[in-house]
Formats: sequence, C-alpha cells, structure tokens
Amino acid sequence: MKQDNRLDQPYVSIAPDGSLDHAPIEPGCFLGEDEVQPPLSLNEAMAKLKNWFRANSLNVLAYGTACGAIEMRPLGTSRFDMERLGITGAPTSRQANVLVISGYLSIKTLKRVIRAYEQMPSPKWTVGLGSCTIDGGMYWDSYNTIKQVDQYLPIDTYIAGCMPRPEALIAGFQALMDKIKAGEANGWNEYLENLEAYKAQQRKVINDWAMPAYNW
Amino acid sequence: MRALETIVKELETRFGVISHREQRRDLGEVNIASQHVVAALEWLKRHGGYKHLTHLSVVDWLEDGEFQLTYLLTDPYAHHSLMLCTRIERENARAETIFTLWPEAVTYEQEINEMYGIDFPGSPRQGVEFLLEGWNDMPPMRRDFDTVKYCEDTYDFRPGREHVDPKEVRAKFQAEQKRLKAENTESPQ
Amino acid sequence: MEAQLPFYEQALWTALWVFAALIYGLCLNGVIRKIIGRIQGRIGPPFWQPIIDLGKLMFLRTSTMHGIMFYLAPVFRAVGGVGLLVFLPIVIGVPALENFSHSGDLLMIMYFFFFGQLGMAMGAGEGGHPYSPIGISRGLSQMTAFEFPFVLAMIAIAAQTGSFSIAAIVEAQQGGVLNWYIFQNPLAAIAALIALAGMNMVSPFDVVGAPQEIPVGPRTEYNAGFLSLMLSGVSVFNVAKLILFASLFLGGITTIIGFVAKTFIIYFWTIFIGAVFPRFRIEQSIRFFIKWPALAGIAGIALIMA
Repeated sequence: MKQDNRLDQPYVSIAPDGSLDHAPIEPGCFLGEDEVQPPLSLNEAMAKLKNWFRANSLNVLAYGTACGAIEMRPLGTSRFDMERLGITGAPTSRQANVLVISGYLSIKTLKRVIRAYEQMPSPKWTVGLGSCTIDGGMYWDSYNTIKQVDQYLPIDTYIAGCMPRPEALIAGFQALMDKIKAGEANGWNEYLENLEAYKAQQRKVINDWAMPAYNW
Repeated sequence: MRALETIVKELETRFGVISHREQRRDLGEVNIASQHVVAALEWLKRHGGYKHLTHLSVVDWLEDGEFQLTYLLTDPYAHHSLMLCTRIERENARAETIFTLWPEAVTYEQEINEMYGIDFPGSPRQGVEFLLEGWNDMPPMRRDFDTVKYCEDTYDFRPGREHVDPKEVRAKFQAEQKRLKAENTESPQ
Repeated sequence: MEAQLPFYEQALWTALWVFAALIYGLCLNGVIRKIIGRIQGRIGPPFWQPIIDLGKLMFLRTSTMHGIMFYLAPVFRAVGGVGLLVFLPIVIGVPALENFSHSGDLLMIMYFFFFGQLGMAMGAGEGGHPYSPIGISRGLSQMTAFEFPFVLAMIAIAAQTGSFSIAAIVEAQQGGVLNWYIFQNPLAAIAALIALAGMNMVSPFDVVGAPQEIPVGPRTEYNAGFLSLMLSGVSVFNVAKLILFASLFLGGITTIIGFVAKTFIIYFWTIFIGAVFPRFRIEQSIRFFIKWPALAGIAGIALIMA
C-alpha cells in the first residue's frame, strides 16, 4: 500500500457527488539527508512552520479501541503528563488530529474506526499501538480480528509491545512529532490517493456495510 | 455455606439427578436431564433460595455429539453457588428459554445463539446480531470450526511474520540457564 | 468623552490593542493551564500552548460546511469579542488607549456581551449534530438568568457614579484603594462577580458545554478554520471582560503591572470557583442566579438610593 513518498503528485479527494477535488500539497517538505541544506524558499519555510505548529499541538481522539486504551489513560495523569508535549484529548472527530488504534481491531470496531477516521479533518495521523496492529499479535488466529491494520487504514507510527508502557507511548508520540516536523507523515494523503484500493480491502472483510461510501 | 447433599436430595425426589459433584465448599455441580431443567430452575429460584442467575454457558462435547448447558446460580444469603448442568443434542440444538424467570437470560441466550447456534424458541432477540456483524459462516465457538483456516482464507498475514512455539522458547531458555549455571560452578571466580 | 484622535489613527491603535488582547488572552489561558497542572502535581503545558493550538487550527483543512448560518456563527462570536474591546476604554486619559469609547458606553457594552452567544445559537443548530441544540438551549437559558444580577450590578454602579460612562466610573474610583467600588459597594461587586462566573461558564455553571454528557455542546461540529475564528474571538472577549471588570470594580487600569495583576486576579477568581465545584443542572443554575446574586444586586441599588 505504501508508495514512494513523493509530494509532486497532487492528492485527490472525492466529494459526495462523485466529483474530484484537487488541491496542491505544500512542496518542499523534504530535505535531503546527506546533502548540504539549501536555503529555504518561502513555500518551504511556510511548510516547515505549519508542520511545527501541527506537531506541537496534537489532539488525540478520545476513542479507546481495545485493550491498549488502558495504557493511554495514564498518559493524561500527573505521573506521565502528556499535556507538557502539547497532546490533549478531543471528544469529537471533528476536532481531533490523531487516531490511536490501541490494540486488536475487530471487524465491528473497524467499521466504527473507519467512520471516525474519515470524519476527521486533514491533516490527520494514525498511531498503531501494540503488536496486534502490526501482525495480529496475540489474536493472530482469531476469526474476528484483522491481522494488519495497514491494509485498511494508513498508519504513520507503530508502537510495538503488548501493551507498551506509557514511557514507550511517549517515545512513540515523540517519534510521530519528529515525523510530522520532517514532513514525512502523509498517511492521509496516501489514503486519498489509493482510496479505491483501501475501500476494496475494507469491503472484503466488512460484510455488513451500513455506511455511506465515504464518511464526510 | 450449605451442604450440597440437601439440595441434591430435594432435586432427586422432584426431578431426578443424574450425578452430582462438590467442586468447592461454596460451589456444587448437579447434572439433570434436559426435560426437567426449567422446572428445576424454577424450584431452585423460588424455594431453594438461588435467586441470582450468575451465568449461562455452553460446553461443546464434540465427541459425544452433545452440548452441555451450564446454569450457574448463586444464593447470596447462604453464599453458595450451584451449577445446574444438562446435555442436549448437537444436531438441531434447541433448549427452553428461561427469560421468564430471569430477564437477564435474554442476553446470554442471544450470545449462545450467535456463537453456538443453539435455538431458544420464544426468547426475544434470537438471531439479532451481537458481537459479529455480517457473519455468514458456521457459529464460531463450535469446536469443529477451524479458526486458523478461516484466518488464512479471509485475512492476509504480514510477510515476514514468524510463528514461534512458546514451549520451544522456554526449553531453549532453561537449557541456556542450566549451561550458565554449570559454567559458573565449574570455574568459581 | 469623544475620541480625541482622528478616526484612522484611532482605528490603527485599536487594531493593535485587539491583537495584543488576543495574544494576552491566549497566554493567560496558557498560564492558567500551567497553574492547574502544577496544582495537580505535574509539569503542565508551556504558557504559549494555546497560541500553538490556534495556529494548528488555522492550518487544518475544513472538512464540512453546513450552510451560511453555520459559517456565520463564529463570525458573530468574534464580532462580539472584538466589538466589546473596540468600544471599551482601556486606560483613561491616554487618547490612544481609549478606543472608540463615548458617554453611555456601558449600555453598548452590555449589548455586545450577548451578541456572540446569540450568533452561536443560530449557528450551532445547523450543525446536524443532535446535541448542539440541547447545549445552546441550555446556554441561552443560563444567559437570561445571569443577565439579571449582572444588569442590577451595572445599574448600581452607574447610580453610584451618576453616569453611564466608563471613563466617569473609573475617575470616581481614583484616590486610593478604598475608593474602589469593590469596597464601596461590595454587594453589587458580589452580584457581578458571580454573574462573571456564569458568563465564563465555569463549574458549577458549565452545563452548556458539559464534556461528559454532550461531547462539547454547541461547539461540536466546528472544526479547523471555524474553530480557530471562534477561539480567537472568545480570547479577545475574555480579555475585554476582564478589563471591563477591572475598570468597574478595581479602580481602572493605570499601569502595566496593575493591568496584569488585576486581570489575573479576576480570571483566577473564576478558575478557582470552577476547580472546586461540581456541576449544576440547568434549572438549578437558573434558580440560583435569580435568588441570591439578584438579591445582592437589588440590595446594592437600595443602599445607594437610601
């Protein structure tokens, strides 16, 4: 599902009446690793500024998908304190930036997660928490859980463990923030570019598709 | 606490007891025939003191071709629990509903219908989807449902995933520990 | 008192104060979040965190739009906040800081208080979310209730001064700390400060946006650009309210240190109430406002008349 991470292709979103809505992506979010950094053009500087703002104020949708949610909750308490990193919780999808898939994803939950993800405004990121999102984990032989979340939703960062402790979660969120600042966290673009492929995969496992084709 | 024998004697005279067993001081098990189950439950609720239905579960005896229904009742004042077990046929499995005695049994019967395929005629919400949405295969908790094969058919595993048996890992670890211990005792520092 | 500067110069100064009030309001919010964090034994966010939140909201793509009124509601809110500040004299005696105030501006300010909430009411119902109209109906009922002690306190203050002009009210309080109206007319001050707690929608009066019951109440469907406009309007509105209360009860603003100290004390008073009380139901909060704070306001007027 992952294509080459080039930003020179415009991303495509489909409006409810079927028409396409093109919008250019901010260029210049990438800087080469080993080469001398050229001076930033205005577009690149604005893109860096925007990414800095977005990375330092993450709103996590308060949706505990599965057992990993129990490790997300201590993050808000005084011992681990995610608010000092700028991370807060959002009660509605419309005001959330990050969706955390915490643990195994059953088919019933996958339908709701897709709904919540598509209702979030772009740019948005997803974090896969725990081994079950990577390769099925402990529930590898369960008839009701999916084995790779990557096939159904784009994931920007994985945090391995069963369950990862809050310190690991903080390290994972910091890795996500670094990825956003570097301009490499573009899962939401990939989702819209490969929408047909993702939807085909989703419909393969969700038999009872009582949703619109795309949840605006 | 209550001695299991008193309950067994009462049930024996009225409904007939196939076997009984005391698992713990506060947990007993009684097997009766399936046609007397509802009457026995009503007697236990009204006169035996077992007012609370704690659980209703199923055991799949695939080799005998039977399902075993286990009604777990609790007497909160005597602090005693009783498992009332009965066997029903595996083909066209159906049992009598008890939701008139305990309304909360509706959820248990709904789940059993979805997971095992046992019918409870008359119970509301039979056939209403509970945990599985759009399920079109056989009831998945039956023992002849091959869940690994279903996973391989429906889902794709991540390439590069290794399957490791925990027993092998433990055996290797213990062998390593033994070897290190032998080395340390051989050459003391 | 008419504006003494030409219109364009005054407009530029006022625009500068509106921007400064935005930044100050956001940072004040951030400082309060830091203080709450420290009270709870953790580090808390940096005090500029609300500015980052606002910037992030500006750089989000808007995903839905529900009609013209939905778009206009945050504009109404922002206009309410900015309008309040534009007609409020910040420092009496310095022409650049007097904005567009004139005699009788207390009445105009009372109008702008309720402008934003009304606009929000019209817009939130369009969102398509079933809980937004519930939140808004609660908000409007509560607004009607706290308006009562608030207006009584304003009338008491105006009667004591003999004028509806904020400049006159501030000048009547000069000449020592004991001349402040919070000491001269404490009943009116109590009525107004409790009404301020209702205006800021802190516990026990936060049933409007009760987070555990209706996701955030009226604000639910607002995302990205709408939310950033609304939050900036609310921020300016908060600072304007604090300046107004400082002018009415704490002797007006003369120095920067005084400005920071007085606004912080009044804001912290509402936060302090909000931290220790559970939530009223809507009928309980309406009954509360009509009872004791209103009585305090009436007593404040009666003492002046007597």
